[in-house]
Amino acid sequence: MSDHHPLTEAIIRGRRKDVPTLVSQCLEAGESAQSIVEHRLVPGMAVVGERFKKNEIFVPEMLIAARAMKEALKILEPDLVAAGVKPEFTAVIGTVEGDLHDIGKNLVAMMWKGANMEVIDLGVNVSPAKFAAAVQEHRPNLVGLSALLTTTMPAMRDTVQAIRDAGVPVKIVIGGAPVTHTFAEEIGADGYAPDAASAVDCALALLKQGASS
Amino acid sequence: MTPWERYRATLDGRPVDHLPRIPILMQFAAEFIGSNYGAFAADHRVLVEANLRCAEAFGFDQLSAISDPYRETAGFGGTIEFVANGVPRCHGPLEDDEAIAPDRLTAPDPRTAPRMRDRLDAIRLMRSRCGNHYSVLGWVEGPGAEAADLRGVATFLMDLVDDPEGAGALMDVTLKTAIDFALAQVEAGADTIGIGEAIGSQVSADHYRSLFLPRMRRLVDAIREAGAFVKLHICGNITHLLDDLATLPIHSLDLDHFVDPATARSRIGKSMVLATNLDPVAVIRRGTPAEIRSRLESCYAALGNPCMVNAGCEIPSGTPEENLRALCAPLSWSAFPDS
Repeated sequence: MSDHHPLTEAIIRGRRKDVPTLVSQCLEAGESAQSIVEHRLVPGMAVVGERFKKNEIFVPEMLIAARAMKEALKILEPDLVAAGVKPEFTAVIGTVEGDLHDIGKNLVAMMWKGANMEVIDLGVNVSPAKFAAAVQEHRPNLVGLSALLTTTMPAMRDTVQAIRDAGVPVKIVIGGAPVTHTFAEEIGADGYAPDAASAVDCALALLKQGASS
Repeated sequence: MTPWERYRATLDGRPVDHLPRIPILMQFAAEFIGSNYGAFAADHRVLVEANLRCAEAFGFDQLSAISDPYRETAGFGGTIEFVANGVPRCHGPLEDDEAIAPDRLTAPDPRTAPRMRDRLDAIRLMRSRCGNHYSVLGWVEGPGAEAADLRGVATFLMDLVDDPEGAGALMDVTLKTAIDFALAQVEAGADTIGIGEAIGSQVSADHYRSLFLPRMRRLVDAIREAGAFVKLHICGNITHLLDDLATLPIHSLDLDHFVDPATARSRIGKSMVLATNLDPVAVIRRGTPAEIRSRLESCYAALGNPCMVNAGCEIPSGTPEENLRALCAPLSWSAFPDS
């Protein structure tokens, strides 16, 4: 038998259909929306990330867990808005110009949401100018750049430069099959994540570092 | 030895003068002849010319008809957009459906579906231009990879959990097309069929064993019965699948750079050719010729025989020519490569 709260367990198992009832039960028991996010959903996605890193689960299981979390957030969102609750950190994410692959970017976006960040997803094939404009508009703490194709790695370099030129202090994390830690350093990114679960660790480490500096 | 003799002898487990070179080329080859990826994917004459010129320039042992994952998807009715410097863009015909509906699909005829016929034309042209000098590699999408192309990758991955029976039914449809397409390529002159099953690395061993493996076995059996060799290529880390893959009657297995070569050999055994798996970006594209050579020798030592030379995946666009020459310079066969 699991030690987790039933809602946390539903997130971990990706049981989307159980989520509305379990969220209602939490609310009826007097738990606030913010508490549900922090104590039921975020721990669930943390377990998912850990299991993914250990190869105990794979992308399908991670996707359905993220879908279940999204279902819960959809129900809780009016309460969160009404209470003026905002996540501590905001992130902008997108796949760089010339690249239409979105699964890696989507997984990272879901995992960042699961770590209780507000995530603005710019989609795929995003130009450096669009990233720079989004950074100026949303003033995020974090930007995630994704690329699957080797041919779009130069676009990653251009995007990092455009974001830096925008003059907004922000941490930049890159990821994708052809990308390496060395490449991240070369183009002036702050971090590199080899997979979606590691992207959470990398982001939180950078954000804590930023907060303390 | 001619390239074909070298390739064939390696598959048979016999000694050769040096290891066959079988790198995967797409955009690099197109650009090497002054063309572009869009033309390479759209026109078999460009693909053949690019393969032949690269084989001559760099000393490959195999010509390949691989271009992109969407030839069968186009045959099923997917929309294709060719772009000059990138993989064709495709929208699968089942991507917008809420539930899996394989009965909405009409199986394409490889001899008439334009993009599938173009690959058959490529193989015929390769054969007519090279005779039996080189091995000629045909290519099909594996049942799971094609199902993902039809449904969209993320949707199909969730289908595997939500509706495994429906996912299996869809894979039965894509399996039939894979067999039809493979056999047509063998008839056109391919001596080997490569199966691309990129999505395999993203699923658990349980999912692979229950849904992918039985269908893969039927595809491999059909190709073998037609008298061709079978190579399997799965992008990404397949360490968790190695024990299951060892049970497939394939002749050769590509390893992406995430897989430890010694681990792969110990779990696959000696009956299957394993290809060297240098990191295509960090080493092949961005490394030096000396580094490539050193890593290649180490990789061969770890893999042992039977072995062929490859990178972990496609040779990236922008790879310096001297780096590809370093990968493909003859690497002497050794009875004991680790000594």
